[in-house]
Amino acid sequence: MTRYVMVADLRRCVGCQTCTAACKEGNGTPPGVQWRRVLDLEAGTYPDVSRVFVPTGCQHCANPPCLEVCPSTATRQREDGIITIADDLCIGCSYCIMACPYDARSLVDQPRYAFGATPTEAEAARPGAGAVGIASKCTFCAGRIDAGTARGLVPGRDPDATPLCVNACISGALSFGDIEDESGPVATLLAENRWFRLQEREGTEPGFYYIWDKEAL
Amino acid sequence: MSEPIATGRRRAGTSTTSQRQRYWDLRAAGNFIGGGTGTGLIAAAAVAAASGAPYHAALMLGVALIATGLALVWLEIGKPWRALHVFFHPRTSWMTREGIVAGAVIPLGVVAAVVSRPAPVVITAGLAVGFLYCQARILRAARGIPAWRRREIVALILAAGLAEGGGLALLVEPASGGALGFALAAGLAREAAWRVYHAGLAREAGTGTSLAVFASPVARRLRALHRAGLALIAATLIAATLVTPILVVPISLDPAVIVPVLAMVGGALVVASSWGMKILLITRAAFTRALSLPVVPIRGAKKSHAH
Amino acid sequence: MSIAAKKDIRSVPSYCYNCVAGPDLMSVRVESGVATRIEPCHQAAAIHPGLGRVCVKAFGLVQKTYNPHRVLTPMKRTNPRKGRDEDPGFVPISWDEALDTIAARLRDIRARGLLNAAGLPRVAATFGHGGTPQSYMGTFPAFLSAWGAIDYSFGSGQGVKCVHSEHLYGEFWHRGFTVAADTVHTRYIISCGANVEVSGGVCAVRRHADARIRGVKRVQVEPHLSPTAACSAEWVPIKPKTDAAFLFAVIHEILFAHPRHRLDLAFLRDRTASPYLVGEDGYYLRDPLSLKPLLWDEISAQAVPFDTEGAHPALEGHFTVSDAVTCGPDGERRPQRGVAARTAFAVMAETMAPYTPEWAAGICDIPAATIRRIAAEFLDHACIGETIEIDGETLPFRPVAVTLGKTVNNGWGAYECCWARTMLAVLVGALEVPGGTLGTTVRLNRPHENRLKSVVPGEDGFMAAHFNPTGRRDWQATPTGRNAHRTLVPIVGNSPWAQALGPTHLAWMFSREPPKEWPEPELPEIWFAFRTNPAISFWDTAEIGRAMARMPFIVAFAYTFDETNHMADILLPEAGDLESTQVIRIGGTKFVEQHWAHHGVALRAPAVAPRGEARDFTWIATELAYRCGLIERYNAALNRGAAGIPLAGEGYDFRLPAERAHNVDTIWDAVCKAATAELSHGAEIRDLDWFRAHGHYVVPFKREDWYLYPTMARLGLRFELPYQERLLRVGEELGRRLHEQNIHWWDSQLDEYLAVPQWHDVPGRWVRAIRAQGGDPADYPLWGITTKVMAYTTGNNVGIPLMHEVSANLRGHGAVILNAATAQRLGIADHDWVEVRSPTGATTGRASLVQGCRPDTVVIPGQFAHWKTPFAKDLAFPSLNRIIPLSLALTDATGSGADVVRVAVRKIAPQAGVGAT
Repeated sequence: MTRYVMVADLRRCVGCQTCTAACKEGNGTPPGVQWRRVLDLEAGTYPDVSRVFVPTGCQHCANPPCLEVCPSTATRQREDGIITIADDLCIGCSYCIMACPYDARSLVDQPRYAFGATPTEAEAARPGAGAVGIASKCTFCAGRIDAGTARGLVPGRDPDATPLCVNACISGALSFGDIEDESGPVATLLAENRWFRLQEREGTEPGFYYIWDKEAL
Repeated sequence: MSEPIATGRRRAGTSTTSQRQRYWDLRAAGNFIGGGTGTGLIAAAAVAAASGAPYHAALMLGVALIATGLALVWLEIGKPWRALHVFFHPRTSWMTREGIVAGAVIPLGVVAAVVSRPAPVVITAGLAVGFLYCQARILRAARGIPAWRRREIVALILAAGLAEGGGLALLVEPASGGALGFALAAGLAREAAWRVYHAGLAREAGTGTSLAVFASPVARRLRALHRAGLALIAATLIAATLVTPILVVPISLDPAVIVPVLAMVGGALVVASSWGMKILLITRAAFTRALSLPVVPIRGAKKSHAH
Repeated sequence: MSIAAKKDIRSVPSYCYNCVAGPDLMSVRVESGVATRIEPCHQAAAIHPGLGRVCVKAFGLVQKTYNPHRVLTPMKRTNPRKGRDEDPGFVPISWDEALDTIAARLRDIRARGLLNAAGLPRVAATFGHGGTPQSYMGTFPAFLSAWGAIDYSFGSGQGVKCVHSEHLYGEFWHRGFTVAADTVHTRYIISCGANVEVSGGVCAVRRHADARIRGVKRVQVEPHLSPTAACSAEWVPIKPKTDAAFLFAVIHEILFAHPRHRLDLAFLRDRTASPYLVGEDGYYLRDPLSLKPLLWDEISAQAVPFDTEGAHPALEGHFTVSDAVTCGPDGERRPQRGVAARTAFAVMAETMAPYTPEWAAGICDIPAATIRRIAAEFLDHACIGETIEIDGETLPFRPVAVTLGKTVNNGWGAYECCWARTMLAVLVGALEVPGGTLGTTVRLNRPHENRLKSVVPGEDGFMAAHFNPTGRRDWQATPTGRNAHRTLVPIVGNSPWAQALGPTHLAWMFSREPPKEWPEPELPEIWFAFRTNPAISFWDTAEIGRAMARMPFIVAFAYTFDETNHMADILLPEAGDLESTQVIRIGGTKFVEQHWAHHGVALRAPAVAPRGEARDFTWIATELAYRCGLIERYNAALNRGAAGIPLAGEGYDFRLPAERAHNVDTIWDAVCKAATAELSHGAEIRDLDWFRAHGHYVVPFKREDWYLYPTMARLGLRFELPYQERLLRVGEELGRRLHEQNIHWWDSQLDEYLAVPQWHDVPGRWVRAIRAQGGDPADYPLWGITTKVMAYTTGNNVGIPLMHEVSANLRGHGAVILNAATAQRLGIADHDWVEVRSPTGATTGRASLVQGCRPDTVVIPGQFAHWKTPFAKDLAFPSLNRIIPLSLALTDATGSGADVVRVAVRKIAPQAGVGAT
């Protein structure tokens, strides 16, 4: 079995938003919609303060609340763990948005473009252009994974089979791959480091891991 | 799962990722209002029908309100012409179930109105309560919104719907003891459900913004209206059954006029309050979850302290 | 059929050099002739320290290309009146009309002479950030070279927005125009405000992230919890502009609280001037015959010339020297007999003696215990005596570094900080060795592509320094550029870069009020501006705008309308980042943290055809040269290497015939061939078509060449530390020259020329400046500073919506960052509108409340407050630039100022505009 997961090493992330921009440009999401984004969180009180940058987006949960609530069955779970939205089924009720504990889904009800009402040539050329009135979210770049694996490439290792955010990440914070591949880079990273997942108590079993320290020896 | 780091740091937190949900607006609130009040009205109609009182107006209005609520949602969804897709997922989606039950309630309500017998009305009311239960479970399953996802929301939505219906029934049908009793009982149940809901919300961390909305002057006024409405209904009930002459004669008004008017005002206050609170609940107090980290990352060497 | 099969999809090689932290490699995905997205250059992962990736800015280039607000035809001004409130009345014109208009003026100037009556160039040019516009201006440098004298001194922010003192002192002391930690080896970094995670580029970000995983300890000392502080092991919130006191106290602690053997005594003795003997007059005691500095030989117990074989120099001590001479200013020889002498190290130590951690605590607002601990940790990590093997060579291993950020590094106090930083490295032998503090590139010295080759033996056992002369006969008494860099700032030298460093704000200031002692400077008759917007990016932006409006003729290469080209007479639309051709050098060691194990060249190929009438810059430059009758000189400049690479060298000759104009591809084809021939020593010749397919060509660059130390050791040279005899002398000479001209307005700057820096009340200068500006210091109780955002810093991209959107994920974007407790005291809530006021102006924006900021400090990120640039003008963002005065009193001896101002903050009524969300 294959289970694709994302790993964000919070020790590395600098909050630069390169992943956010690469995702937006590559997936053609309209202004205001960010499938991948990096949160800028602060904790503590001056002068004992921490500021942490947290890449986030769809957590591709094993038990996804969005899937449960979706009335149209547009939200689906692939065998490799990726949660997808069937654009032709979605009715745009936004219920999945309300159900997601990670605030990872979006919906626009009007076409929106970077410079106003008219798309630029680049925007018009995007496959995602005009996807209005349906829910959207990170797909782990499922299309790239499928096209890449069809060519024998390995997601997380070969750029052509890897999500755009991971390819773009400049600090090396983002890693991607099959967690079931025990000798693979993602499983190794998780074995050698201490990690958590967001809202773990929800029982959603996210496919998004956050490394925060090396494993104690 | 790793344990938190023992930094002894107080996690005051000045930043939050929580924000007010932007997708369900007054139209969605309208569905919860229409569905709740409609169900309440149909239930009130069933009570009236069972006791031989007039019920047609309440029944028809109830069905119409449910339909209107659904129509409002239809206006809100991004792909209205795919609306039938809503029926695709009965296995787990309360929204699908809401749609299916609504599909039974509305025609059955129309039939019940036409055949003019109590039994279909009671059956319709039972289905309508089921419909409202689906609506309540819709909110409870919205796990991204802490103000909705609570177990207590189910009782609140059910009680609120019945209270709204009971209150509105006082405006559309002649006030009877049964109607007043229904309205008062439902209103008191709503009050109790609200208190349980609010107490639960207050116990949960990270719900401050929602609680602030419920503590706002508007919310406080709405709650006061609710209590005033209930007081009026209670007073009317008491007046109608026990002490009408004492209350009414000194001010030289005809009890046959004043009792229904007081009941109507009381009912209207309950309805307005509950609608207002629903609008707040759906559009104002609905904040997404704040993400919180169990630990902060170790960036390089662990921090040492002055020696 | 797949989408890919239906569409014609191509990947076009390119580079991003929008900030000095590049260049980085990328490719542009082009679908059916439309550039759709930027992708990293994964093929370069093995050679690029950032694994072939580009930062967030590059992902804005597609929107930048298709921005509907672009200027896409040449335009001319029809309203002769200039000013912010004047509509320029730009109308489209043909390229012929535009170029002929410019060429006619240029030919007229040429006929009258390149210099005006004051001896200043009649033509001026300003380019934006850190020389990066050169990587986008094709062969325009060849045109400038063909032209001759040009005044580059109208700054776009240089001197006040760069790490100015580091440029000058860094290059002087260790050939470090910018200075970095050797992050791949270091274990401990004291970073005073160096915001490397934001402005260090992808190479630095990757290197530091790797270092964190390795366990490096970076202590970030700065008033505001920047992303760099966030990603550090420790944040030490220091009061603005007191970094020198902190660093002095660390030096004090190292000198007086730890035994001497914790220092790298051999390094101090052999590779620095520590043992040189200083006489009572403050100058080195020298051998009367050879004039070589003396040191005290412990074996013979006498003073001997510094290069005496077999001598064992004393590092410390007081001695009596029987016969010596000192060389004072203006060649004064001062015989010294039986004179008391101290070693330079001893003078340094005695100067640092008063600067205890307790003393610094009162100035910096950092607990003395913290300063002590940091000093101890610095020593603990220094690994004195250890070595490491690099490229088969055994080198000292000293994994401790000190880095400085902008604002620490410019304006008053910066000399002290640069000295203290370099001194800390010197004390433990961590300067220019693996793990230590390194220079990255040279700009005031040559060659730019390998700084080691710029190391030439000079006087007194040091590297040669190229100061502007200050002697009676050779001092440049009247400025040759409008910022008077050769006249006022000896250390900046007179390289092509020197003028654009210097005190560039003086050019703007003197255009309004010239010093009466010098000829009226007169504004340049033509001013070229490219990738620069000083009307936003300098200080006192209103005044800068007025100065521009007085310029008689401005030629602006225009991407969109903006606040600077609003004053222009001709707008020229150059083909943009994704539309034009250029070849640049990559790799080796470059600005910030670009340390590669390769070097070579990369092509920026046009991914798409230029939009509208935009034209390749090389075409524009060639046309201008041709129309000005300069084509032969232009081609000669190209042949000499003005396009980045000399077209002829040993064993190859791709020079272009001089007498005729060449097209863009011909020129760059020659550059490609020459570059590959140079790099491969003639073994491989690659043409433009090869580069279009492959993007870049590299050969190995020795990692040993990251470090200056081996070269210094090989040449037997010493770093010119700790004692600054040269600066002392130069300062005295400069003072004499200025006073001879009766110029006294530079006197406080002359005070900076100390042989060993001493603390003076640096922050107090800003407090006192308020009074000079007519205000009451009590009314401005807070410090106003700025910080950078990666998406914007030096990106020329404020008009790109994507940059705004992604930056809004960061706290404080487009806002006024305030400590939450301070805000509460002032009655300010998050997102409230506030006014930040200095004695010279006010700026407004939304408040962003945080814990990670000193209570006495407000931070305004970026450089905004646009009023013309499309999109940006609707953001209603605040800008610190609006409220910082152009001030001589706040200009240091190098001619730089710092982004600091005393301010008051108050809540105001909501303002129009989008504001920060």
